[in-house]
Amino acid sequence: MSLPGLELSAPVETTVEPTVQELKEGSEWRFEVAFGTQVEVKLLSGNAELFGTELVQKQPYTFTGTKAAIYTWHGCQLEVDGECQSEYIAEETPMISYANLHFALEKLREEASTIGRDGPRVLVVGPENAGKTSLVKLLTAYATRSGRQPIAINLDTKEGMLSIPGTLSAAAFSSIIDVEEGWGSSPTNGPSPVPVKLPLAYYMGLANPEDKTLVYKPIMTRLALSALNRLQDDGESRGTGCIIDTPGGISHGKGGYEIIQHVVSEFSVSVVVVLGSERLYSDMLRRFNGQKTSAGETIAVIKLDKSGGCVDRDEAYLQQIRQAQIREYFFGDAKSTLSPHTQQIDFSSTSIYRLADSSTDLTSLLPGDAVEESMAPSIFDKVEPSPQMQNAIIAIMHADPSDPQETIRDASVIGFIYIAEVDEKRKKLKILAPLSGKLPNKAMIWGLWPEGITDIVG
Amino acid sequence: MSVGIPSDEVAEDYKNSLEDLTANSRYEISNLTVIARENTEHAMAISRVLENHIKSVPPDRKLPALYVLDSVVKNVGTPYTLFLGRNLFNTFMGAYLLVNQQTRRKLDEMLKTWKEPVPGSQETRPVFPHDTTRQIETALLKARTSALQQQQQHQFKAQQEMTARGRPMPTLNTQWRNTPTPPQANGAYYPPPPQGYSQRSVSNGNFQSPSAYPPPSAPRHHPPQPDHQQSYQQPYPQPPGYPQHSLPPQNLDSLKRDIADLIGKTKAAFASSPYDDTLRIRLQALLDLQNILNTRQLPSHEIQAIRDQVAQLSGNSHPPSVPPPYVPPPLVPQQQPPPRQSPAQGPTPQPGDLQALLSSRNLADIIAKAQRSTSTPPATQTPYSQPQQVPTSYPPVSSGPGTDLMAMLRAQGLLRPNVNIPTNGPLGYVPPRSATNTPPVLPASLARPPLINDVEITSASLKLPRPHLISTLYEARPNQCSTCGRRFFATEDGREKKARHLDWHFRTNQRLADSAKRGQSRSWYVDELEWIKSRDNPEDTPLTDASSAAAQVAFAASLAAADPKKKHIPAPADPTLANQPCPICQEKFATVWNDEEQEFVWMDAIKLGNRVYHASCHAEIKKDGGSTPLRTSTPDSVLGKRKSPSTWFSEINANNAKAFKP
Repeated sequence: MSLPGLELSAPVETTVEPTVQELKEGSEWRFEVAFGTQVEVKLLSGNAELFGTELVQKQPYTFTGTKAAIYTWHGCQLEVDGECQSEYIAEETPMISYANLHFALEKLREEASTIGRDGPRVLVVGPENAGKTSLVKLLTAYATRSGRQPIAINLDTKEGMLSIPGTLSAAAFSSIIDVEEGWGSSPTNGPSPVPVKLPLAYYMGLANPEDKTLVYKPIMTRLALSALNRLQDDGESRGTGCIIDTPGGISHGKGGYEIIQHVVSEFSVSVVVVLGSERLYSDMLRRFNGQKTSAGETIAVIKLDKSGGCVDRDEAYLQQIRQAQIREYFFGDAKSTLSPHTQQIDFSSTSIYRLADSSTDLTSLLPGDAVEESMAPSIFDKVEPSPQMQNAIIAIMHADPSDPQETIRDASVIGFIYIAEVDEKRKKLKILAPLSGKLPNKAMIWGLWPEGITDIVG
Repeated sequence: MSVGIPSDEVAEDYKNSLEDLTANSRYEISNLTVIARENTEHAMAISRVLENHIKSVPPDRKLPALYVLDSVVKNVGTPYTLFLGRNLFNTFMGAYLLVNQQTRRKLDEMLKTWKEPVPGSQETRPVFPHDTTRQIETALLKARTSALQQQQQHQFKAQQEMTARGRPMPTLNTQWRNTPTPPQANGAYYPPPPQGYSQRSVSNGNFQSPSAYPPPSAPRHHPPQPDHQQSYQQPYPQPPGYPQHSLPPQNLDSLKRDIADLIGKTKAAFASSPYDDTLRIRLQALLDLQNILNTRQLPSHEIQAIRDQVAQLSGNSHPPSVPPPYVPPPLVPQQQPPPRQSPAQGPTPQPGDLQALLSSRNLADIIAKAQRSTSTPPATQTPYSQPQQVPTSYPPVSSGPGTDLMAMLRAQGLLRPNVNIPTNGPLGYVPPRSATNTPPVLPASLARPPLINDVEITSASLKLPRPHLISTLYEARPNQCSTCGRRFFATEDGREKKARHLDWHFRTNQRLADSAKRGQSRSWYVDELEWIKSRDNPEDTPLTDASSAAAQVAFAASLAAADPKKKHIPAPADPTLANQPCPICQEKFATVWNDEEQEFVWMDAIKLGNRVYHASCHAEIKKDGGSTPLRTSTPDSVLGKRKSPSTWFSEINANNAKAFKP
């Protein structure tokens, strides 16, 4: 039955015939898909994996806003439907050394399990766009495929792991990692076709750790404490250990190295992987090689090559990724649509702490850690809702509004809300919360990062 | 028609019908409009249901729901305009906030038509009073202005920041900030549904087209033209000058469609009672009418007359030929709750059903049936003795419920090429065709070949290729799940794990189908202690939402002191639980929206353990002296209380062993 006008309004579809890519063994198909377009990839034969997670034959995988690579150990045939921004097959990859790193870690895990020690704590450092997150994902996926349960930790506030940007998070991975959507989804109140992963999140509210070490270091310490406690407590994870992703920004400069030092001591890191930087490698060797961890293991420092597939991601793309992550938090992904909930709350029912502006954080300019204590600059300013708050993302913390500022800072995150509208006359806020129900009466942090997002609802 | 039926029953029916509305289906929307017209005495209840529905459905279903509202107020009018007008601001704005740009444009168009009288009617007043629509328009205008300001501010601030920090940003970035809208504003905001999704709803084009369901009476300005396409280049023209006495071709089209529907229905009715003369005459008349409409152009007043006649006929013909969404939900047998969620509450298959069971076209179905038949183990054994269906070489263990059955099918049956197992169940469950793409199953002893892992953490050692280690990622676990790619050992243990894994997929798919009706949302994150104590084993634990369950318990406790009638709990999202009646009075719970809690709740309800009781019933029983007589009287049948799969397994195996003793 034809509907009048239908033909005219139907989007003009540029029909691209599905193409078939033949991959020889040990090669990979690198592809970029723009936001707003979709590419469907099907494994026709052979086997293939995306950042370590195996693809299933004949199952369609849909990608959007992605830059990734599908690698094959034994050769495969891929059917690609849709238009990629760019795509090519590369035969030279550092996959052999990446996989070998996994097997080396497996050996350490075997040893750890037999003598009842914690598995290796692996730190991945390197400059921006060196493929750190991809390597962490690969190592996590391989560990999961080997029947283990690694704890993946994200210390990069520029991108979120199972959370929005601006957070540090950790999660145990015992089940398959989502192929299509980054790290997958955190729990919802319904079923999910790919098992959800339960994150523990802390809120930094800034893009660079060095912007406010006064916040970054303490919350990282808390995250380390929780993660190591989980290792102790969870028999499945204990022998596997954890894999830590870091921001590229700390891979140079004195402040950055201090943060790396802090991570190494707090997580009791036993393997430092340097990706794609000779200089960083030699600096790391100097600092850590041969040092002992708190448990008496010798720290190993190893260098890996950057993959030729790593592309520089420009700011515009990174911003799209950030916005996509925020949207995904509220609205879900293509596989499961979520319904966030709008509601109005009184000004009086909020207790919002604004992260004091980074320019007032003078400590990073001053030498030594001792200064921090004596100057004791305030961490937050308590603020009333104001029109500037419109379109901001606010974190709700596992801390009471009356708690001291340090407690609020160190608390983990309950969730995020989006401020859709500030009505100063009626003293009401219109907010978007991930789920219905009364907002928890907890302290809230209004960070400076990620930037407000204007087109989520307005 | 429905005199005497209580309002809440009508409302419940209406709610169920609304839940089936997933896309812009013209048929369903006009159906819902007709129902609303026939039940004007329940207009208040229906309006409330409709409002709540619009509020609670996921964003992608808000538009069809609003089209129902639009259609009802335009085609039925009062009293619906009155009831719906009251909350129109909240209903409309609530939806507007959550939908994507494309949908918003359609909502804007809809709003525009509400400011005018229904075209073609004698009524001169607008659909909704100007006050109501103006309130919405003002709010929208304000939002747009502030968004624009925000953007400018943002832009300004960004420039400031750049100069302040002295950190030059990439040029692309600046470029972006200077454009009026972020480049992804339309495209990435809300990813278009993937193909699997659109198959589930209606065809993609239908869903997206603005004219797939135009407000029925809006564009009555076109003279009839034989060429529909041409006259429909603008779906929403508002030319004031056109004469209003002729019908647009679209209305003609819809009329034809209505008639076609009527013919279909009448034919069906005629087939069931072929001796009914009135039906025969009506069918003949309708066919003639269709013929006339198709071949001749009629003056508009005649068409109007036909239209009225048809509307009357279809109104009359509705009750006998009950449209699918109107079917009252099947009652769950209350004496013996099903052992688990099953897609349909059919009767337990008796031996006579076995042929049907085996010829069932999909595996998921077989499993579901097999699961339900746990109470009659001998029945499920019979299939395996029917030689032409399944090879007899099956070990006796293969009888019994789903998980085990699946394990057997997968581990052995599917490897045999002559066993024909159909694929693709209706629930989206893709039964694994495993093993076809993996190397043949290794004997258990070879599953863990002695590996020489000689990788050291040195640059030299890491560079050496080690294919034998790579193969541990593949061949060592040959038993692959064809849904997600997870691999399992070819050992007994691996098989059991995989069976449990597939069971998880199956349950998830069942729940996915259920949850599509009800909005799903992200949960809050847990705190440190809970995270440290949590275990990441989704396949071993039942699919209840731990955090929300905990919250519900806390919620119930906090209200414990209150008057029982005022006690309420958040309406459970779990469909099994949501369909459970109160164990004391056996009545179902009514779900109502609670503004204070900003949530759907069950009033007069408390949750104890895994069961929900009417608070008043429970208080009554307690008064009589019994401390907790309830917990033992009915077994907990909720998913959360299910036996852990391992005990379940061993029990089944024990049962099977018993059954096979001579």
